[in-house]
Amino acid sequence: MELSVIQIILITLIAYLKMTDTVTLQIAAFNTLICGWLTGLVVGDPETGLYIGATMQLMSMGVVAVGGSSMPDYPIAAIIATTIAATTGQGMEAGLAIGLPVAMLGVNFDVIYKIFNGFLMRKEIALIEEGKFQSALNVIKISPVFYGLCSAIPVLVCVVAGPSLVNTILDFMPAWFTTGLTIAGGVLPGVGMAMLLMYMPVNKYWSFLLVGFVLAAYLSVPVLGIAAVGLAAAYEIYKSKMNAGTASVGAAGGLEDE
Amino acid sequence: MSKEKVLTKKDLRRAARRWLIGISTFNYETQLAPSAFFSVYPCLRKMYPNDEDLKKSSLNYMRYYNTMPWISPFVIGAALGIEDEGGVESLDAVNDFKVGLMGPLAGIGDTIGWAMIPTIFGSIGASMAMQGNPLGIFLWLAFTIAFLAVRILQYEWGYNMGVNVITKFGKQITVFTEACSVLGLTVVGSLIATVVKLKTGITFTNGDVTMEVQGLIDGVMPQLLPVAAVAIIYFFMAKKKVKMTWMILFIIIASWIGAATGIFTA
Repeated sequence: MELSVIQIILITLIAYLKMTDTVTLQIAAFNTLICGWLTGLVVGDPETGLYIGATMQLMSMGVVAVGGSSMPDYPIAAIIATTIAATTGQGMEAGLAIGLPVAMLGVNFDVIYKIFNGFLMRKEIALIEEGKFQSALNVIKISPVFYGLCSAIPVLVCVVAGPSLVNTILDFMPAWFTTGLTIAGGVLPGVGMAMLLMYMPVNKYWSFLLVGFVLAAYLSVPVLGIAAVGLAAAYEIYKSKMNAGTASVGAAGGLEDE
Repeated sequence: MSKEKVLTKKDLRRAARRWLIGISTFNYETQLAPSAFFSVYPCLRKMYPNDEDLKKSSLNYMRYYNTMPWISPFVIGAALGIEDEGGVESLDAVNDFKVGLMGPLAGIGDTIGWAMIPTIFGSIGASMAMQGNPLGIFLWLAFTIAFLAVRILQYEWGYNMGVNVITKFGKQITVFTEACSVLGLTVVGSLIATVVKLKTGITFTNGDVTMEVQGLIDGVMPQLLPVAAVAIIYFFMAKKKVKMTWMILFIIIASWIGAATGIFTA
C-alpha cells in the first residue's frame, strides 16, 4: 500500500501535535496508545494501530522523563511502527525494527532543543535587563512553536523513506535480528517497572508488590480489579496514618480529592 | 513592609492559563524559569507600575526553577501571594520559598503524575486496546482533562495560603503520596506478571527424552523469568546507577544474542 500525500501530512501532524501537547497542555502526555490509534485511523487500520500502540505503551511503562531528563520517544515509535506495518504488510516486527531505533535517536533531538532553549533564555534575560519586557515574552513564545519538530521531522523522514527501505532491509535481515527485537519488546517493560520501583518505597511496602503479582500470575485477575484492591489498601493506609498522627489535621481537605 | 494586595482572581486565572506554555521552555541552565516568568508577567506588571521594580522581580523569576508542571501552579501561586504582600523587599524570600518547595513537590508530582498515572491508565488502556477496544484512551484523556481544572485552580489556592502552604499540608501530602505508592506497588506487581515477557528455548536431550527447560521453570513458579529479569534490571539501575538508555541498548543486544543462540525465544 502506498501512502497518499494527505496521509503523510496527517501522520506528520500527529507527531507534531503529540510533541507540542507533551511540552505544553500535557493532555495526552505519555499516551502512546492514542498515537498508535490515530495513525491507524489515518492509514486505514485502527486495529493494528491500537495493538502497536498498546505494545509500545507497555514497553514505555514507567519510563518517564523526570526533572528535565530525556527519554526514548516511544509515541513516535508507535506512529512509525503503525505506518510501516500497515504499508509493508510485514507486521509489527518490521515496524519495531524501524520505530525503536528512531525512538532511541529521538532523544538527541530533545537534548538539542533544550540547548537551543538555553540560547533563547540568555536572550530573554538580556532583553529584560534592557527593560524590553514585551520582546522578552515574544522570544519565550518561540519555544512551544518549534518543539513539535523534534518529533515531526524524524516521523516525516521515516514514513517517506521507510516503507520501501524496510522491505529491502528485511530481505537482508537475519531471523535472529527480528526475533531478538520481539524478545526485547517483551523485556523492555522491565526497565519501566524498575524505574517505577526506584521511585516507590519498595523496602517499606514490598508486600503489596507481592499481592499484585500473586493476583495476576496465579489468579489472573484483570488489571482493573487489581487496581481496585490496591485502592482499598491505599485508603486503609491513608486513614490509619492520618489518625495515628496529630489530630490537628482534617480542617482543610482540599488535596485529598486529587 | 506590607502593601495593599492588588491581584484578583481574574489575574490568577490568567497566570494559570499562561502557565500552560508548560515545559516547552526547558533549558539546562535555568530549567523552567522562562515559563514561570511568562506565566506571572501580567501579574507582575500590575503589582509594579515602576519599571525598575518590575525588572527586579522579572529577573527573580528568571532564576533557576523546576518542579513538576502539574503542581507548579501551587508553588507560583503561593509565591505571588507572598510577593503581593511584601513587594520588592520580599524577592529574596519569594525565591527561597520557591526553591524550598519545588524539590519536595517535584518528588511527589513525578511519582504520582509521571510514574503512577501513566502506569495505571496506560495498563488499563493497553489491556483494552489489545482486544481492539479504544475506550481506555478516552478514559485516560477524561482524567487529564478533568485534572486541567485542578491545575488552573491551584494558583488561587496557593495565592490564598501563601507561606502557610508548607505547614498546612505537609503531613497530608506525605501520607497521601505514601498511600498512592501502595496502590502503585500493587499495580506494578501485577504488571511484572503480565506485561514483562521472557521465555527460554533451552532443551535437554537425555536419550529419547527431550526436556524443555521452560516447562520446568513454569512448574516452579509462573513468570519466574520475567521476575528475574526485572530484578536484574532493578539491580543495575538502582544499585549500579546504569542509565536508562544504556540499559535499553543492553537489553536489545542481549535479546539478539539470546535469539541467535536459542537461549531465549519469542
